[in-house]
Amino acid sequence: MIIFDNLFYGFSVALQPEHILVCFLGVLLGTLIGVLPGIGPLGAIAILLPATFRMSPVSAIIMLAGIYYGAMYGGSITSILVNIPGEAATVVTCLDGHEMAKQGRAGPALGIAAFGSFIAGTLGIVGLMVFAAPLAEFALKFGPPEYFGVIFLGMTLLMYLSRGSLLKGVMMAVLGLIISFVGLDPIEGSTRLTFNLLQLWDGIGIVPLAMGLFGIAEILINIEESAPHEVLKTKIKNIFPNLSDWMKSKGAILRGSILGFFLGILPGGGAIISSFASYGLEKRISKEPEKFGRGAIEGVAGPESANNSATAGAFVPLFTLGIPSNVVMALLFGALTIHGMRPGPFLMTNHPDLFWGVVSSMYIGNIMLLILNVPLIPLWVQVLKIPYKILFPLILLFCIIGAYSIRSSIFDVHLTIIFGIVGYLFRKFDYEAAPLVLAFVLGPLFESNLRQSLTLSKGSFSIFFTRPISAVSIIVAIVLLVIGFMPYFTKAREKFEGK
Amino acid sequence: MPCSRESSFKRVIMINRDQLSGFFWLAISIFVCIEANRVGIGDVHSQGPGFLPFWSGVMLSAFSIILVVTNTLKKRGKREIKNLWKAMSWGKVVLVLILLLIYALLLPRLGYLIATFGLMTLLFGIAGKTKLWIKLLAGTITVLATYIIFYVWLEVQLPKGILGF
Repeated sequence: MIIFDNLFYGFSVALQPEHILVCFLGVLLGTLIGVLPGIGPLGAIAILLPATFRMSPVSAIIMLAGIYYGAMYGGSITSILVNIPGEAATVVTCLDGHEMAKQGRAGPALGIAAFGSFIAGTLGIVGLMVFAAPLAEFALKFGPPEYFGVIFLGMTLLMYLSRGSLLKGVMMAVLGLIISFVGLDPIEGSTRLTFNLLQLWDGIGIVPLAMGLFGIAEILINIEESAPHEVLKTKIKNIFPNLSDWMKSKGAILRGSILGFFLGILPGGGAIISSFASYGLEKRISKEPEKFGRGAIEGVAGPESANNSATAGAFVPLFTLGIPSNVVMALLFGALTIHGMRPGPFLMTNHPDLFWGVVSSMYIGNIMLLILNVPLIPLWVQVLKIPYKILFPLILLFCIIGAYSIRSSIFDVHLTIIFGIVGYLFRKFDYEAAPLVLAFVLGPLFESNLRQSLTLSKGSFSIFFTRPISAVSIIVAIVLLVIGFMPYFTKAREKFEGK
Repeated sequence: MPCSRESSFKRVIMINRDQLSGFFWLAISIFVCIEANRVGIGDVHSQGPGFLPFWSGVMLSAFSIILVVTNTLKKRGKREIKNLWKAMSWGKVVLVLILLLIYALLLPRLGYLIATFGLMTLLFGIAGKTKLWIKLLAGTITVLATYIIFYVWLEVQLPKGILGF
């Protein structure tokens, strides 16, 4: 029953007027950036992070979390009506959602996406409440080797599951670690990789890095590919799905919710992978798989549910282990540390207002999103028609002000622009920035836990293999890396022998 | 014979984007290793500040070499560098970047209001064919609105510049 006491306490925090307001702002902004193609939750959180500095930590995380799960709702609208994913996690919704819209069933597609998201989001929050406390208790047994093992596994999984080449993913993660080492050595206090620049003594901030790599780079890519977005001209009616639609979708929503939640917990997992996995699952178990891609409502209900419950699942490792499972969580990790909080097993006991307040606000936020998304769909359709040429100068300016406002430093503005150019070139050369940012955020933890472990073991790496959790984590990570790299060596050998 | 020499020369200069990026990361990793060595690597028993940067640099160089080698063995084609900006309006990107860099340089000297007004007016100008007064109006509204939000409401200390505002 203690869970209900905690939840009751959480609602007493979340229902404070200030928190209701920031929750509403978060889900509204989330839906907006989800609707607008070209800026995802990551860029939006990076841009808005400095705006939360004057808020209390609880308000800040309630708002930023609202942006994350709100974007999942909004992204489906663009996928269904424009056939362009408003958010990466809604890519798969285009397949059947847009087909339904073309067949004159945009209403039920939008409706089931919103209701499915609501049900899955709510189930995900229940999962977060149930799993977080035991996991936090378990995490108290973690020492430096265990933390190192889990961080290493998390980084490996993200590289493994990231789009494109594994080799490039690994390179990005290593580069992220190197960037995180810039500044003062945490143990000796001597400077490293600072190029004798005083501004780099404190290291590179998460905001200039993320804002440049995701915010500015995204804008540059969009300016370059300035293809007009055609909104499907169709009358949106019957937003409330009929009984037949519900019967077809109920299983997909339930399965998507469960699958999404657990994939969200996994380090390296998240909303994108969950939505694809759910689509694959629905197609595989369907009696009519040939209907998928031609307007099957299950193809909308499953992935939309999965990406929403994954957002709740992703909070579990952040709040209990202090390890962000994906790059959006890495930014929230950054936000928590900027606000003086240390995510980890003690967060729930030391800051119950934050944990239970955020969890309860998610219930409220999901209800707000349902209200925002079902009756207000015509409004979001109008938002979709705002030309990008008006939006991009504004987004650029927000990036610059955001970067400047943290330390009132022009140097951070320069860094943001440099990282913007780097991020743009990453896209051009097919490098994914997500493993870099996750490794950058985890870098200090990675280093301190590795060095503490080696100090404990007097320099022996066997310490990582004599403790079950670290041993299993590291072995799984190594196996994944070996499997991933195998094709490179076999292909290279075949080519060489062929010559 | 001269023909074959020419084609091998072409093959050398027509490196694909992965090879180019591989060489770039290799150079970066060597630099990181040198820097790490300068501050002290130490050993596993007593790690210096350069311990992890050094080994990260070593790993990055190893992966860069794998990237270069595997791509040298691949057939050339779509991934050539010249295809990167094909059919793209990259001129706009360069223009936006130049404007941003100039803005970053002028911001502390001119102050937020003047520098941002200039930047926004020019950015709205790049965005599409619009009348001058609309661009000026859009620039003014944006600057004033952001000034109110960030300076007045959120109390962000925006740069004042030599004119004091």
